[in-house]
Amino acid sequence: MAAATRAAATAAGARQVTRRNFAEALRDLAAHVEACDYVAIAAQKTGAPTGWRRALPVDTPETAYLKAKLAAESFQPLHFAVCPFRIDDAAPSSSTLVAYPYNFHLFPRDELQLGMPSYSFSCQSSYLSSMAHRGFDFNMCIYDGISYLSRVQESLARQNIFIPHIRQLSPSPSTSIADSVFVSRIKSGIDYWQKGLKKTSKKADGSLVSTLRELILGGETYGSRPNIRIDVCSDRQVQLVLEAVNHISDDLVPLVVPDKAGAARSVRVIFTSSMEDKNHLLMDIKRSEDEHNLKFRGFREVIDLLSTSQKPIISYSCLNDFTMIHSKFVAPLPPNLHEFMCSLRMVFSNIIDISHMWREIGPLRKAKNIQAALSYIQRQYFVPMDVEVPQQDGNNSVTKSGENVLRIMKLFAKLSNLLKISPNGQSHYGEKCHTVEEYSYIFYPDCKAEESEDAKCSNESETTRPVRTDNVVFLWGFRETSVKELRSRLASLHHAFSKDFELKLLDKSCSALIFNSSDTAIELLRAINSQSPSLNNFFSEGLKAAGFDVYRKICRLGLWDSDLAEALECVSSESSTTMLSGNGTDEIYWNTSLMLDLNEYLEC
Amino acid sequence: MQSSRRILLRLRAPTETLLSRMLSSSPSYGGGGGGVAVKQVTRGNLADALEELRARVRDAAFVGIDLEMSGVTSAPWRDTFEFDRADVRYLKLRDSAERFAALQLGVCPFRWDPAKSSFVAHPHNFFIFPHNELLNDCSSHEFLCQTTSIDFLANYQFDFNTCFREGIYYLSRTQEEEALQKLYKLHHNDISAYPNTCEEEEDTPLKSAADILFTERMKIKFNEWRNSIVGNQRVDGHGSENIKFADQFQTVFFKMRPAVMLDGFTSHQLNLIRQVLRKRFRDLVYVCTFCEDGLSEKRVVYTDTNDDKILLMKDVREDLLKSREARVKSAVGIRHVIDLLASERKLIVGHSCFLDILQVHSKFVGPLPSSMEEFALSINKVFPHIADTRHLLSVNEAIQYRMRKKSKSLSSAFSLLCPELHAPDEKSFTLSPVKIEVESDETVLSCFTSGAKHEAGYDAFMTGCVFVQLCDYLGIKFEHLSPLENLATNINLKKHINLLAPCWNSGTVVDLSTGTERPHPGYKRRYPVTVYDNVVLIWGFQSKVRPKDIKDCICKVFGPASLTSVFPIDSTSVLVQFSKRESVDDFMDLKATLDCTDSAISALHPLSTILEGGQTRAAKYDTYRDICGSSVSKFSFADQAEAVCSTSNAEFKSKESNAADGYGAYESALDGTVPSTVEQAEGTKSGSKNQGENDFSLQDILDALQDGKELSGKRMRNA
Repeated sequence: MAAATRAAATAAGARQVTRRNFAEALRDLAAHVEACDYVAIAAQKTGAPTGWRRALPVDTPETAYLKAKLAAESFQPLHFAVCPFRIDDAAPSSSTLVAYPYNFHLFPRDELQLGMPSYSFSCQSSYLSSMAHRGFDFNMCIYDGISYLSRVQESLARQNIFIPHIRQLSPSPSTSIADSVFVSRIKSGIDYWQKGLKKTSKKADGSLVSTLRELILGGETYGSRPNIRIDVCSDRQVQLVLEAVNHISDDLVPLVVPDKAGAARSVRVIFTSSMEDKNHLLMDIKRSEDEHNLKFRGFREVIDLLSTSQKPIISYSCLNDFTMIHSKFVAPLPPNLHEFMCSLRMVFSNIIDISHMWREIGPLRKAKNIQAALSYIQRQYFVPMDVEVPQQDGNNSVTKSGENVLRIMKLFAKLSNLLKISPNGQSHYGEKCHTVEEYSYIFYPDCKAEESEDAKCSNESETTRPVRTDNVVFLWGFRETSVKELRSRLASLHHAFSKDFELKLLDKSCSALIFNSSDTAIELLRAINSQSPSLNNFFSEGLKAAGFDVYRKICRLGLWDSDLAEALECVSSESSTTMLSGNGTDEIYWNTSLMLDLNEYLEC
Repeated sequence: MQSSRRILLRLRAPTETLLSRMLSSSPSYGGGGGGVAVKQVTRGNLADALEELRARVRDAAFVGIDLEMSGVTSAPWRDTFEFDRADVRYLKLRDSAERFAALQLGVCPFRWDPAKSSFVAHPHNFFIFPHNELLNDCSSHEFLCQTTSIDFLANYQFDFNTCFREGIYYLSRTQEEEALQKLYKLHHNDISAYPNTCEEEEDTPLKSAADILFTERMKIKFNEWRNSIVGNQRVDGHGSENIKFADQFQTVFFKMRPAVMLDGFTSHQLNLIRQVLRKRFRDLVYVCTFCEDGLSEKRVVYTDTNDDKILLMKDVREDLLKSREARVKSAVGIRHVIDLLASERKLIVGHSCFLDILQVHSKFVGPLPSSMEEFALSINKVFPHIADTRHLLSVNEAIQYRMRKKSKSLSSAFSLLCPELHAPDEKSFTLSPVKIEVESDETVLSCFTSGAKHEAGYDAFMTGCVFVQLCDYLGIKFEHLSPLENLATNINLKKHINLLAPCWNSGTVVDLSTGTERPHPGYKRRYPVTVYDNVVLIWGFQSKVRPKDIKDCICKVFGPASLTSVFPIDSTSVLVQFSKRESVDDFMDLKATLDCTDSAISALHPLSTILEGGQTRAAKYDTYRDICGSSVSKFSFADQAEAVCSTSNAEFKSKESNAADGYGAYESALDGTVPSTVEQAEGTKSGSKNQGENDFSLQDILDALQDGKELSGKRMRNA
């Protein structure tokens, strides 16, 4: 608990970022990321999957990914904590953690009126309620949260929204007579206008006269600068106008104005009074483009920044967080894990799941969450560490992800001390150190629905054994009952149940049986499919069973809306004949939080 | 309400904080609160507010209501269209009511005061939050938010913090029944299984030395405590023999028996204690009770005899039952308000309130039935009289004349019909015929804030005001209204009661007392009346194909007069209405045939524009209904349709047969004649169901990633 309060105290120093101060915060963050070795991230979403939709011990990496995909697509991140940090270990006895925590508040506001980034999102009331209880400011988040577009959404938006821009003059092919007539007409038009401008600038007219002149000459002002609009009807004409302008004078800046469909509608020629003034104008245009880009990308600028910095990114529930990041800020999630991994690698080269790191230390393996791991290290190891948060913010709003990111960072610092990891693989004293890359891209899907705040280590037996998916049989159709009762009931129903097997309830309507040999499981399923008379009692009890393929299929089809039993029933009844084809068996890690070495998924 | 919610208004700058709304009552504020005091009700003051409201509703002539929801449509294609068939429209509205949460309930009783000859209104604004720890069913805890709706509410300074922190919970009638039933069953089991429960519990193995030591220690301590009680019946905790143990148990009394509070033990330790008691002390009973705040208190109670023990256990069980019942009752929360309105059988007035009523049914009564008729009958039992001001606006010619060229939204009607309430400072308006006052007679004003547009309480008030003025147009004289007379049975109003438009563009009116839906005569249709048997649903074509292209290419095949209309659903799906019913089957057959052939001829066929990409599907109108009624929720209609069809069993099988039939018809299709042998081609080519999950192609994604990479490369070079 001490760790928690201290984390809360330091979280108060985090910088709160909304759309009001986003631009400046982004600049500062860029500098801090540059100066640091690692970046810790944590996100707070509007909910997490419940029931059998969360990762279960029977899940293969593939099905775990599909479940993470579902969560990423339905829930909305409201808060994103980013914390670049570095470990200064000048003295071997004590090291200092220098951290720059930022708390970004997000809301998927449709800034561009295009129905993006998200039409709707799911909320879990228990999540919102506990967030509210902890003092999360929903008003700030919804009124002033930063919006964003994913990379794919941005490219779609850019097909729909266009702003005036400067176009480079491309070398033009031979000009026809018609072209040269057009150019000379444009030239003389601009010349005339320019002369008029120079003339009028000498004598001070009344405002009425200048307005009239503007009307007659077709000039308008761009900011304070006079300009003229030349209507065009094709890209070719744009080129010709640009050419003409180029020929006349250096003082003129042509700006191509597109219409709603993106085709050039007119060219606006802006008159600048000097070279200095021209540079000013170009900078103004650049700035307005940047602002526009910020409006398009919004918070995604932060993700792009992390991506380009190539710093190792430390996170806790990586599969959940990065499917979320991918779907909200990069592109819609691909249908399978392999494609996801390829795609994610292109964005982030180095992601470290903190729970993989702590599993490297034997006794810590039991730790169920960050706090458990942190308090265990606190008790069992002596790792002195000072935390320094140089930037302070008066705002005292503490959020869960804000706390989490600091915990992740602290835990990482201690673990990297224990595991002798340094950013460059060399310690200050020339010892050989591990690099953090060795831990990269190994994810543990979060098996629990919600992380409890208690810092206890689990008392469960810790036998991790790989089980082939062949050995798994899903059983449903029993009414509410306990594992013990069910087991004793089953024993009398078929001889397969007299063999040794493990039984685990997956949700209130379905359980998984793990047989020790795949023969028993296959035999049972075959008997069920052929409706063998030996199973009469089994059927008359209303029991149903199916193999892993059916489960894999419901995950693939995305039948998430119903109970597991309903979904299994739906799929198994329609394709009972193809069930035993047994296409490809995988291993699952039964009885433990499963591990995904995602590097494996990149090799093919 | 619906139409105005749909449009994103940005009348107020978002910079204005909630505080400024509370302090200021300036009418310039987005339509103006006009300084109307609205009582804000949250979890804290619900009980008091409910008592007060009970009296107000009893005296009221009618009650205005309004609801603010977290969204209206879960996907663009779920929007209600004018050409929707009534059952489809109901399914779409039902989907909305089920998925989205109600965040605010506005209730405003209007009482006629003959002395002042004016109405007196009491606007209430209830914050709702759909969270209930009583229900362990996870699915009921999830609700959807539509981004634009949330943003819209934010623009009107909706206080989300109050809503999520202080919002009132609720249980629907069905949920309450279930909870109580479960509770009685639990209680019953407890009693019947009583004598054996203690023995049946499994022993916790003593795994560590710490456990063993703890167990021994507890044995000693309980033994001492028990001896001290048995030894001298006068136990006050100050006996001299207790002094040597500093951490001696403090004796308290529980149901007239000596007891010990067990504080600060972990659940594992509590288990060990129970085990010790079970094995060693037959006269000490472990009792767990629940306090009002949901926390549990554990005690060890001393009982004299075995009979006494049984008596105690029975007592405790009954207490437990009572406290659980009380918890269920308190969990009913905001539904008490609905129950109150229902039991008083008052006239309920809303503006464009069909969706509101659906929400009320789904959240506070029970799951929504599958058809409009059943829904109407069900809600009619709860609220026998409902009036919709939006409907009333269209029944009287004088009002229609005044409202011409005006939006039918609540605020526009309000500003027109009640100008002095809308903007009290401007005197140029003629006064409305019926006077309305707002009463906030409480001395404590802390829970009152000045009403603002799109706050449910204030909207309910506005609705009531509009209703009062409309009644005047309908020739209802409130002066002659006796306090006991039900306004709903008034001869001038009666024929307009319980008539509601299901949505703004349906062009129909539903009679809630019978469940029938009929066209509204005053509605101007944009589309011709649809013949649903002639309609084909097409989805999954490429988004570059416009509805006009589809029309053109179908006309090329079936003749220029074959099509009546093409309705776009979204960018990759349309409903096509043929002029003849036979064309539907012909089209389906032709499509199935073209799907199966893979030759140059099929590529040159005029329909290839639609079929390009190989993902195009077609089905009859009933499939459209099934897709809309499905609980699956995808953003694009094509994805939704694929998801629904892939799970539906019949579809799956018909696909197989279609593929075979398609080949048989292959020859004739190429001759240009339409085969008549194929019965139905609702299905699609098999084997490609899993694609089309994403709105974007793989190429799009790769391109975007490439962009990102180039960007990163550039930045690296700059650095």
